[in-house]
Amino acid sequence: MIHYKKDIDNIVTLTLDMQGRSANVINHEIREAFIPVLRHLQAEKKKGYLKGVILTSAKKTFLAGGDLEYLYKANDPTEIFTFAEQMKAFLRDLELPGVPVVAALNGSAIGAGFELALACHHRIAINHPKIKFGLPEVEIGLIPGGGGIIRLMWLLGIEKAFPILTEARRYNPQEALRVGIIDELANNEKDLLCKAKDWLLANQDQRRPWDRPGHEIPGGSANNHSTASMIRGLAANLAASTHHNYPALQAILNVLSDGSKVDFDTACRIEGRFYTDLVMSKECKNMIKAFWYDLNQIKAGINRPKGFGKFRPKKLGIIGAGRMGSGIAYAALKHGLEVVIKDVSRPIADRGREFIENKLAESIAAGEIEASDRTAYLKRISTTDTSKDFETCDLVIEAVFENKMVKEKVTREAEQFIDEYAFFATNTISIPITELAKASSRPENYIGLHFFHPADTIPLVEIVKGATTSDETVARAFDFVRAIGKTPIVVKDDWGFYAARVRNTYILEGVTMLQEGYSPALIENLGRQLGMPKGPLEWADDLGLDMVMRYEEQAAAHYGPKYIQHPAVKVLTKMIKELDRSGAKKKKGFYDYQKEVIIWPELTECFSCEVDLNVNLQELKERFLFAQVIEAIWCLQEKVIISYAAANLGSIYGWGFPAFKGGVIQYINDYGVEQFLERCDVLKEQFGQRFQAPKILEKVAAKAVWS
Amino acid sequence: MNEAYIFDVLRTPRGKGKTTGALYEIKPIYLLATILRALEQRTALNTALVDDVILGCVGPINDQGFNIAKAGIMYAGWDVNAGGMQINRYCGSGLEAVNLAAMKVKAGWDELIVAGGTESMSRVPIGSDGGALLYDPEVINQLDYIPQGISADLIATLEGFSREEVDAYALLSHQRAAQAWEEQLFQRSIIPIHDQNGLLMLDKDEHIRPETTIESLNGLSPAFEQLGKKGFNEMALHKYPMVEKINHVHTAGNACGVVDGAALVLVGSKAMGEKLGLKPRAKILSASNISVEPTIMLTGPAPAANKALKRAKMKKEDIDLWECNEAFSAIVLKFLKDMDLNTDVVNVNGGAIAMGHPLGATGAMLLGTLLDELERRDLNTGLVTLCVGGGMGVSTIIERV
Repeated sequence: MIHYKKDIDNIVTLTLDMQGRSANVINHEIREAFIPVLRHLQAEKKKGYLKGVILTSAKKTFLAGGDLEYLYKANDPTEIFTFAEQMKAFLRDLELPGVPVVAALNGSAIGAGFELALACHHRIAINHPKIKFGLPEVEIGLIPGGGGIIRLMWLLGIEKAFPILTEARRYNPQEALRVGIIDELANNEKDLLCKAKDWLLANQDQRRPWDRPGHEIPGGSANNHSTASMIRGLAANLAASTHHNYPALQAILNVLSDGSKVDFDTACRIEGRFYTDLVMSKECKNMIKAFWYDLNQIKAGINRPKGFGKFRPKKLGIIGAGRMGSGIAYAALKHGLEVVIKDVSRPIADRGREFIENKLAESIAAGEIEASDRTAYLKRISTTDTSKDFETCDLVIEAVFENKMVKEKVTREAEQFIDEYAFFATNTISIPITELAKASSRPENYIGLHFFHPADTIPLVEIVKGATTSDETVARAFDFVRAIGKTPIVVKDDWGFYAARVRNTYILEGVTMLQEGYSPALIENLGRQLGMPKGPLEWADDLGLDMVMRYEEQAAAHYGPKYIQHPAVKVLTKMIKELDRSGAKKKKGFYDYQKEVIIWPELTECFSCEVDLNVNLQELKERFLFAQVIEAIWCLQEKVIISYAAANLGSIYGWGFPAFKGGVIQYINDYGVEQFLERCDVLKEQFGQRFQAPKILEKVAAKAVWS
Repeated sequence: MNEAYIFDVLRTPRGKGKTTGALYEIKPIYLLATILRALEQRTALNTALVDDVILGCVGPINDQGFNIAKAGIMYAGWDVNAGGMQINRYCGSGLEAVNLAAMKVKAGWDELIVAGGTESMSRVPIGSDGGALLYDPEVINQLDYIPQGISADLIATLEGFSREEVDAYALLSHQRAAQAWEEQLFQRSIIPIHDQNGLLMLDKDEHIRPETTIESLNGLSPAFEQLGKKGFNEMALHKYPMVEKINHVHTAGNACGVVDGAALVLVGSKAMGEKLGLKPRAKILSASNISVEPTIMLTGPAPAANKALKRAKMKKEDIDLWECNEAFSAIVLKFLKDMDLNTDVVNVNGGAIAMGHPLGATGAMLLGTLLDELERRDLNTGLVTLCVGGGMGVSTIIERV
């Protein structure tokens, strides 16, 4: 597991090579394995037979992060804290003055893996853009627990450490060097080991900054007035952007502030106590559930039809060079596909290329893409005004505007040229796929691929299976979405599919509150404060009130006599018909867009809203969330969506349902299954039938509990 | 119960609380010692009889640290028998010191106490002593604890006070203060500051701008807009989600001035007054402190006043003159609205907007101003109240004897 090799200069190379795993991970095993090795090294040192240690890996990765399955199940604070303490003691043994240690990073080191690298005296990495370093624990509601926060703080200072710890970014070696988390670059494995050895021979007396007497944290501790003021600013910014919903982000700041005032070892224990608290927190469990278990299930293809070989798309055709089409093209390009963009004329199609050039420039500026690769990227795009250029495409996606005739026309044109194996996808948001497929000459190869704005960054794609779509086409669409690095969820060809349909209930609930006399500011603020990306009224304006209404009309048509009108319909009708305020496009909706964007001042009068300082905020927040959760359950009951994993991730990625709740289904667990059902009854009694729990809820709730 | 009498009130002029201010040159302890000696001299005080010296100071660190009250009386050469302690109830400290003195005397345990406060903001700026409420990110965010200026703007937003209204009040403060100085209304209580050679350094409040006009006030830019954008506005909305956005009406012109200054109030029992041959000027009828929701923070004056009134078994009609500290215009406007009062009887000689707010001293200064004015108008009762950090409010009612 750890290979030991000593050379004639008394330099020991330790090579991590965990058995039975494709990557090295941090767990109990690795610490156990290190104990005898460290003991041996200490003995060697005493005898004067040791000049330095090089730590490297036999795997492609240097060392991956912690064991999420262990953390998900961990529920004993003593055990969690003790384990973290042991891990830190091991890292401390490695770095305490005596023998210098170099991390020779021949592969990625993320999370706890990077914490090991931080505990070495010097970090050298092979300069390859695929290699990544970082401490992205906050993504799963956690913080580094091996002293990583404290080491980073001592190396870079609080101000520079904070973004690295809270933005969850993974840095390639060049960026890592620039932000200061590694010290040196090497060209290849051989160069790496050479440089490591050179450094060791030249730097025999090594002490970490925190082990040097009188040394201070760069920029000063939080006892320093200007540092304290800076921290106050960071706190306010954090409160404003996350509304206290993400305790891990807050914990990073707390640990930096408090940890800066005490010695290194005490600071590490402070970190450990926050870490333990977070491992125990609902937010962390919810996020591990969503971003580890649920995501892995989806990646493993729980909703991909079985029995079809893997589809490896090479070339993508896009019809429509608007923001959506260009965004999809860029996402594909970044993942190595060739892209043909077609529009009615070459100059218009070229707008797609311009969009991509701009995006590339942004990515290069952000250091995500090497400037030298720009030409290679641009070589893989071509633009055209004729469908003939789709001949060699593996699939074609149309992203033309929402008009059935136009969509039918482009489908027919493209199908003249694409080969039999290729499939055709539409990016419609509201026209049934089954309807559109009628214009296709090969309806079994016709499918819906619903991307979300902005398509290059939103990680979700809804795969919409029409009545005639074949399972093989679904499987290939699934593989395509994976190939461009996105998360596919398979949904039924019903109105609004999954995401837009459930999102609409949030908007309708907000609109209903207006009718009940709550002030629009209250409605908007509560929506954002509970963790939704936008207030419901703002969202209605952005989509257009007629679009919000159209989804509800489609629901009415779908349920027929069983449909009970949503109280929001009255408000929407009044807004659209009487007040002529249909949304942002018309520059008048719930908001006013004249000089600055403000809530339309007359809105409160129109709906007799009152500013009441004593409202039941908790109840309003719960209505927002319950409305969405219940609609998602309906979607499961009606097979609009077919797995809890897809329902959860679809809600987080698709419309920004609070990630710290783990998604719409996990929310029920977070709330408590029994309590959720009881609360539905109370809300139904008070606010109407829409809070009636669908029949399968009890079953869903029981099964959704992770075991 | 015993009565607590006020025998004397005095204060220093207020210097601008910055490096160009007239009092920046002198040490905080020198400022304090000057006024302590003045009290000793003008009342021919036998300082051996002083049971305690209680002084408010909101920045008890560095030059003002390690109990400036005891340090000050020793430096001023007072008798070794006198004790001294420094207290901090933020902006209410100076009045709280008087209230504590009154309680000790009324309880009968002490006979003679010097109360008041001192603050050299040019030397020790606000927040110099750190503290969890200002700098601990966990505490700040758990409480949504925001800077006072944002709280003041939040009050204006919720109450609908416009920029014009808050500026109009600020103008009134400047006009009244200038007029009062012109008529020498503060003369009796002002202790000019001289250097060790007897050369005059300051004999007048330095912060007043008699030339202030409504136009000049209107021209100032909002002081807390940038701070609000850093996230504090959004924090305010966590507690007050019914607010669409904070209306930043406060400026450097309609908020209190940052100044240096000190004030003292001599409090004692009837018997001690007789022993020392001091004539009581007023008695302290009641005192109160309260606390409200800490994010809005500054709405304490009315509930504090009401508690003091209730404790004294008085109605608001029983009060002849009022002082409500002008921390920000909106604080006074809110107080007027809550108490249904008008400016004819409140802050009649201006306040902290014009003359400045030396944090730990202001409460005692307001009490002195009130007593002087009651005597000048030959009225009887007065109430002082201040809004205080953390949501608190402090109040005192006095009656001339």
